[in-house]
Amino acid sequence: MDRRSFLSTAALAVPRAQAQPVPRQGRLKQGVARWCFSKWSLEELAQECARLGLKGIDLIGPADWPVVQKLGLAPSMVTGGGSIADGLNRQENHDKIEQQMRENIERAAAAGVPNVITFSGNRRGLSDPEGLGNCVLGLNRIKAYAEEKGVTVCLELLNSKVNHKDYQCDHTAWGAEIIKRVGSPRVKLLYDIYHMQIMEGDIIRTIRENIQHIGHFHTGGNPGRNEIGESQELNYRAIARAVADLNFTGFFVHEFVPAGDPRRALEQAVEICDV
Amino acid sequence: MTRRSWVQVVGAAGLTRVSVAQPIARKGRLKQAATRGCFGKGRTMEEIAREAARLGLKGLDLIGEKDWPILKKYGLLPTMAPPAGHSLADGINRQERHDEVEKPFREALVRAAEAGASNLIVLSGNRRGLPDEAGLEACAAFLGRVKALAEDRGITICLELLNSKVNHPDYQCDHTAWGVEVMKRVGSPRVKLLYDIYHMQIMEGDIIRTIRQNIQYIGHFHTAGNPGRHEIDESQELNYRPIAQAIVDAGYTGYFAHEYGPLKDPLESMNRAIEICDV
Repeated sequence: MDRRSFLSTAALAVPRAQAQPVPRQGRLKQGVARWCFSKWSLEELAQECARLGLKGIDLIGPADWPVVQKLGLAPSMVTGGGSIADGLNRQENHDKIEQQMRENIERAAAAGVPNVITFSGNRRGLSDPEGLGNCVLGLNRIKAYAEEKGVTVCLELLNSKVNHKDYQCDHTAWGAEIIKRVGSPRVKLLYDIYHMQIMEGDIIRTIRENIQHIGHFHTGGNPGRNEIGESQELNYRAIARAVADLNFTGFFVHEFVPAGDPRRALEQAVEICDV
Repeated sequence: MTRRSWVQVVGAAGLTRVSVAQPIARKGRLKQAATRGCFGKGRTMEEIAREAARLGLKGLDLIGEKDWPILKKYGLLPTMAPPAGHSLADGINRQERHDEVEKPFREALVRAAEAGASNLIVLSGNRRGLPDEAGLEACAAFLGRVKALAEDRGITICLELLNSKVNHPDYQCDHTAWGVEVMKRVGSPRVKLLYDIYHMQIMEGDIIRTIRQNIQYIGHFHTAGNPGRHEIDESQELNYRPIAQAIVDAGYTGYFAHEYGPLKDPLESMNRAIEICDV
């Protein structure tokens, strides 16, 4: 189903809320992570996203995909395989992750979902070269299937300093080296701007130098992981402009917990990054 | 010497303090300063000092001693005296150079203190294969030799943090944790870090948290936009206003100096930079 037929189907069944979405420049396809707005029902969140001109919702389960799709939104990142603590950096996890990945990629492809997420796992004493080699081996087992199905596997970069102690994929250079070695157009990094500001800074330069390895973005204000506006240290508008100027065609997804009014927080985030 | 008595001395010395065109009023919770480079090319020291005073800056960083009388004339302080007896690449991380560096450094410190300078810069030097622990020991040893003089004279020695990724490859004092460890070992209220926000954004990010956690070791700040080291406005990735707010909220009382190369009109950019950080 293409986007146009999506919308015309949706128009039959759906509330007027999305009939008049706020006009956007739309160089970036913005989205939002479901868990950050957990006080709203998914239906409410999806309607608000459609009204604000967002294009996707991250991290929702298959049962919820039709709820957002009928409003013209993509489930922009869904479960792939493994967990934050137990991921691809250990070979003993590979059989299980491969099985999960194949099921989730197949389901995603059938529903037109573009991305599935995966993780390195925690270090637990494992050296960086060893963890890197294992992640490459694990991703190599699934890349052909991802290519065949047209779904991108995204390995997430997270901070190990504040939120996810001991997580291994915590620096861009380490993640980018994995992506280079795997060498598939369907295996990329999820560059989380909030997490990488905590770990290494130098956001715009790092994005420019690694854009070919990046398949998806997450945002969040630092410090605090709240609103991305004037209350925190990153100028998201300049960052969004740099990403758009690189002709990035993936999703740029807000993943922060609103400290103030959630409706206003989401609206402001979309405006800041609409470049 | 207080600021008032210093101005009187200047007057007595015959360097009549000129009355600057009514300086722009600022909230001034953060005492701002700038380096010469912020004023672009082609302006004399005299013109720069006059504009700096008009814009509401409190001083200028890294101005040579010969120009200090011009700063005084406009009521400005030398907020960071330039390096003495050593350089960015050849710094204090080499034990074998300490004897050679110490004499000119002590002399410059005394002159700077006498001129009312608030701070004197010091640089680690490049690694050239030196392990971090050896460099750390050497820096702490040198600063240990001069700290009593700084305490006695009431001037703060500031060890600068710089990036070794883009602008100063191989510079050793390139991470806050390393610099803080030097400060802890020296343990003097007159030996602090110069936390350069631009350089540290390149090396490690997490600016506000790092400043909050280490404010007791920081004696001075530098700014610039990243990437590019230009204006600190909307064109680059840092929100300088919340950073300035966090610094003030942490109880910081030192100087906060802009150090960027303007791409736009230098005076308009300087006014804007001061406004952004006038919290």
